[in-house]
Order: sequence, then structure tokens, then C-alpha cells
Amino acid sequence: MSIGIGLFLFVFAGMFDYDLELSEHVYTGEGLIWMFVAIVITSIGMFVFWRQDLSFDGTYEPLATGSPFKNIQIRKVGMFVFLMSEMMVFTSLFSTYMRYRLGLRRCDDVFADGLFDPVANPTGWQEAVPVTCFEPASHLIASSWWHLAPGAVNTFALIISSFTIVQALRYAKKTDIDEELRRRRVTMFLGTTWVLAILFLTLKMVEWFVGFYIPDLGFIHEHEIKSLVAEGYTIGADHYQHHSYVDEATGAHMTANIRVSASTFYVTTGTHGAHVAGGIIGLTYMTYKAWRGGYTPTNAVSIEYFGLYWHFVDLVWVIVFPFFYLY
Amino acid sequence: MAQYKILGRDPYWMNFYGLMILTAIEVGAVGADMSSTAEALNMSEDGITLWILTIIAIPKFFMIAAIFMHLYGDPDSGILTMTALFPAFFIIIMILFIGLTHPDAATGLPAWCRPGTWGL
Repeated sequence: MSIGIGLFLFVFAGMFDYDLELSEHVYTGEGLIWMFVAIVITSIGMFVFWRQDLSFDGTYEPLATGSPFKNIQIRKVGMFVFLMSEMMVFTSLFSTYMRYRLGLRRCDDVFADGLFDPVANPTGWQEAVPVTCFEPASHLIASSWWHLAPGAVNTFALIISSFTIVQALRYAKKTDIDEELRRRRVTMFLGTTWVLAILFLTLKMVEWFVGFYIPDLGFIHEHEIKSLVAEGYTIGADHYQHHSYVDEATGAHMTANIRVSASTFYVTTGTHGAHVAGGIIGLTYMTYKAWRGGYTPTNAVSIEYFGLYWHFVDLVWVIVFPFFYLY
Repeated sequence: MAQYKILGRDPYWMNFYGLMILTAIEVGAVGADMSSTAEALNMSEDGITLWILTIIAIPKFFMIAAIFMHLYGDPDSGILTMTALFPAFFIIIMILFIGLTHPDAATGLPAWCRPGTWGL
């Protein structure tokens, strides 16, 4: 599986080239065949792993024998070591964000300097001359409750899903209920977690690419909420125009090069989204196993280990949401 | 699973309620008009929002790690917490020395703290 995933990432990165004239990444299709090979290797690895796990009833759960993890399940320690490395990945992304956020001037501060005038305001911005500045995505997202809605709903969805995975573990470990009830409850809670994860990614797509429309309902006014991409908030945006960056007196627009800010936003939230997508693949299998009655008090720890990963995904969102979406 | 209670109730439910309430406060803080508070504290509205978001994010982080991830109250919590905290050293380095430095830090350092060329 590691070989497959590694190959996929290498090949995927090579399939795009940066076009200087177009100022955007273009798909070259180079190495497409290797990408399919990588997908096949990963799928076979996953299939073999799941085939072995499907019959795992917890009879042999290896325990560490050496210090300092003596008598702790090896899989649990392994999961924490994995989460440690994940923590490093997200810290790199977060420190990059902080570095640029604190180092570059905010675009609205640059706009507040006023329109350039050779005598009265020589340090002001000029129309059609893009300024490199930091434009946080929150300037668009937190501009109204409707813009914020997908991110806010996602936050609640992740917290609820963290709770449902704990409930799945609780019912899998219960010894005082009959097997059929346990099977139904564990399947229900894992299935609910799966649905919430799908909801998370769907709303993410709505927020990034699709946008949404609220018709006039009398008590709610009509709203058309554009996606971030439709607003021009993209990684290649070197002539970005926020609707508020207009000089009232002259009608001149300030344009900004926001590639750095958009990149930090999309890469960080995208990496988090990729982790949610990975979780969905795992949850799909686990819900199937639960439906077959595969989780019992003796092997419920598998749900606990997946739960650790899922709580970590929630943990990262606890930091990402306020600092990328709200502030 | 946890063998303890929070205020006499199931810790997972209590943690869930707590997280929901804190998130609602977080979202509310962004929409709330805090111009008068900002003026009274001689701070910008953005600055106050940042403080509120940071203050709320910290307990949320610990609530998930300690209760949902069982890093509190289980027999193996201690050593696993130490394992989870291992990258803290690197995180501090990254946040303090990369995250908080100025982009010009490498070239804009004062002469007294720049290494010489050592005749090379």
C-alpha cells in the first residue's frame, strides 16, 4: 500500500506543469499509465489487508514487550506514532500560514492607504497595478452568515462524527447486550460517521467550487452565495479584486496578487480534506464489517484505533476552522 | 472506555455538549459587533476576535485529545500522552522560529547577528 500511495503521489505531481504564460497549472497527462498502476497496487494492498482483517476476531492482539510501551497494544502505539508524524505535517502547514500572514500586509490595510497620487499620496495603490498582499479567505467566508454556513455546519458535523465513533466503540465493547442489537448499533453509528464525513466533503466542494442559492422565502431574503473560485479566490490569482476594494471617489479598483494567501488556504484545508477522504475509505470498509457483525468486545479495539485517527482529523479542524475560516 | 464521570455524567456526552457550545460561541464571536469592547480595550476588533478564537480553540483541543482520544483516565494514558507530545519540541521550533519570524529575517538581520563570511 505504501509503495502504491508513494507512486501515486510522485506521478500525480508530475502530471501537471506550470504554464508561465497562462499563469496556471496545466494538465499534461504525463505518466497516466503509472497512476493507474499505483491505484491498482494500492487497491490490491487494501484488499489483502481488509481480507485478513475481516476474519480478525481479536484472538491475537499483539502487545509490546519492551519498555516503555510494555503491555500496550502494538497497533495502538503504532497509531500514536503515525499521528505524531501527522502532527508534524499540519504544523509545517500552519507555521507557513503564520509566517506569511504575519509577514505580509493585509490587503484591506493596503487598500486603506488610498489611491495613489504623486503629490498627496505617493505610497498609495494604483489601479491595474497588482499589490502583493495577504488576503485571508475569511474576508470572503466570514463576510456573512450564509458564506460561513458550509464551514460552520462542517465543524458541527465533525464534532458529531467524533461522538458517533465513540458511541460505535462503546456498543462494540458492551457485553451486556445481545449480538444482533450490538451489530445494529455499531453499524448505525459507523454509518452515521460515514454520512457526516461525506457531508463534510460535499460542503467543502460547495464552498470551493459550486456555491449555492437561497430563494426568497419571505422570512429569509434571496441570496446567491458564490463559491470561492467564482469569487476569484484561486491559487493563480494575480489580479484579484474583492468587491470592497473600490475607491468611492474615482471608482478605481485595487487589484491584488493573492497567490500566497490562497495557496496556504487551499493546501492546508485541502490536506485536511484529503484526510477526511481517507477516513471515508476506511469507514466504508468498517461499516461493511460492522453490518456483517464483525465487531465484538474482543476486537472492538479496531474501532478505537480508527477513532484515534478520526479524532485527530477533528483536532486539526479545531485549529484550522478559527484561523483559516473565521479570522 | 472511560471509567470516570464529569459532573456525575457520562464524559463523552459531556464532552460532546461542551464542544458544541464552544463552537457556537466561536461562530457567534465572529458575527458579533465588538466595536465598543475594542474601543474600551484599545484594541482592534480583529485582535479581540483572534483572542476569543484562540482562547476557545485551546480547551477544545484538549477536550478532544483527553476525553475522545482517551489520553486521560486510561491505564496507558500517561505514556501515550508523552508519545503524542513528543513532536511538541519541533512544533515550538516551527511556530516560534519559522511561523513568527518576518519574511525579511534571513536578509534583514542586523549586522551584529549575521555570521561572517569567514574569509571564504
